[in-house]
Amino acid sequence: MFHSTQGVQGPDPVAFPSGEADATAGGTPILELRDIRIEYKGHEVVHGVSLAVQRGEVIALIGPSGAGKSSLLRSINFLEQPSAGQILVNGQLVQGQSGSRGAIARNKSLAAHRRDVGMVFQQFNLFPHLTALENVVLAQVHSLNRSKEEAVARARQELAHVGLTGHEDKYPAKCSGGQQQRIAIARALAMDPQLMLFDEPTSSLDPELGVEVLNTMKRLASEGMTMLVVTHEMHFAEDVADRVVFMADGAIVEEGPAEQVMLRPSSERAKTFLSAVRGR
Amino acid sequence: MIESILAMVPDFLPGLGISLLVTVASLALGLPLGILLALGSLFAGKPLKFTCIGLVELGRGVPGLIMLYLVYFGLPQMGVVMDALPAAMIALGLMTGAYTAEIFVAGFRAVPQGQWEACGTLALSYWKSLRLVILPQAIKIVVPPLIGWTIMLFQATSLAYAISVPELMSRAYNYASVTFEYALAFTLAGFMYLAVTLLGLWLFRRASGRRRSAATSRAAVLAGA
Repeated sequence: MFHSTQGVQGPDPVAFPSGEADATAGGTPILELRDIRIEYKGHEVVHGVSLAVQRGEVIALIGPSGAGKSSLLRSINFLEQPSAGQILVNGQLVQGQSGSRGAIARNKSLAAHRRDVGMVFQQFNLFPHLTALENVVLAQVHSLNRSKEEAVARARQELAHVGLTGHEDKYPAKCSGGQQQRIAIARALAMDPQLMLFDEPTSSLDPELGVEVLNTMKRLASEGMTMLVVTHEMHFAEDVADRVVFMADGAIVEEGPAEQVMLRPSSERAKTFLSAVRGR
Repeated sequence: MIESILAMVPDFLPGLGISLLVTVASLALGLPLGILLALGSLFAGKPLKFTCIGLVELGRGVPGLIMLYLVYFGLPQMGVVMDALPAAMIALGLMTGAYTAEIFVAGFRAVPQGQWEACGTLALSYWKSLRLVILPQAIKIVVPPLIGWTIMLFQATSLAYAISVPELMSRAYNYASVTFEYALAFTLAGFMYLAVTLLGLWLFRRASGRRRSAATSRAAVLAGA
């Protein structure tokens, strides 16, 4: 289902990944998307998007609803199956897998890829029947085959990392939204991901609780974690991201260093969007 | 009047015991069957999936009395002869399998899609996702509708009267046909069914400490309980 493409020829103007925005540019990108296309029921929602992410880079994906930001992000770990295109991690092509949930879960190389890519969801998706600690332990033991002791120690460490020492034995339902999202971040970090994906991590939180999560993310960024963040938090995009990618109608319209895209966008579409969200 | 009712009770109690026994045995047979049918109709490959769905629809579509007659009178024609009591347990167990399969299916479906996605991004295997994450949540969701089914099943054991299982209904009928106290006998039997049902519900509420999360009540609605 994946076909190789030489160069990128999307129907819309697609900005080429330059990698120059990042200080550590050079060498193989940690993640490279080549001409990714995503369809829903025969209707294409992402029209051939290419993007390269360097190690340690923080990229904010912004744009209006329906732009295909979340679909693109979710395709990186195959929660959405791209209809065409290639995904490379450290220069290695990741083989996709179509078919049932079982078939996808049984694909060993895809499982290895998913262990390398951490994901944080808008709705947290914590396991409600497990405590905070157990949420962080589960996949370490059952996916990474760590010993129980090692996993528990690591879980405590990651929960402390996101500022939740003392909340280990709480169930998600007893935690605030901000705490739940930080547990979800700890759960992803405990897998030692090379790259973290955030799908609107603060969109279902009160602004006050969103701040806790954003601060945690800022700290991760400062520690050198590679992050791809779909967000409506313009301050985060401006202050924390190295690079901002503006998407509309299933394509990248504009991308570049954060201050350039956020303060001096060149495309009309980005100008309209940014002045609209800032004018709120 | 009170005296004549009290005189009936010792005669009826063994019947009540058999009604409860049939209920428990049907559940023991039917619940595992229901889980298997649910897993099959949700997650199996196409031939098995449609077989499971077909069996569930068949089991739900055929009246309990016909199921009882098929097992008790029908199977002997194929060389399988059994007593009335095990026949009732098997017939009602099959019915339980079909009905609870629908409840389990609804329970599995009520676990949010995001739970599967979280398992996927953590690269948990399919069976570990099912066993460690989906099943524990589905079980919690299906408890209230399963209680509902258990009550229906307990009352449906009265059908076994038709194949002369000496359960509560038979006892009441036999008593009445000798004494002609039909109204009294069936009223007492009715009250005994009611008493056990209410006691069971009360015990369940106490055990669950009246904790009903939004998820369980939503699933109860989905499962039609």
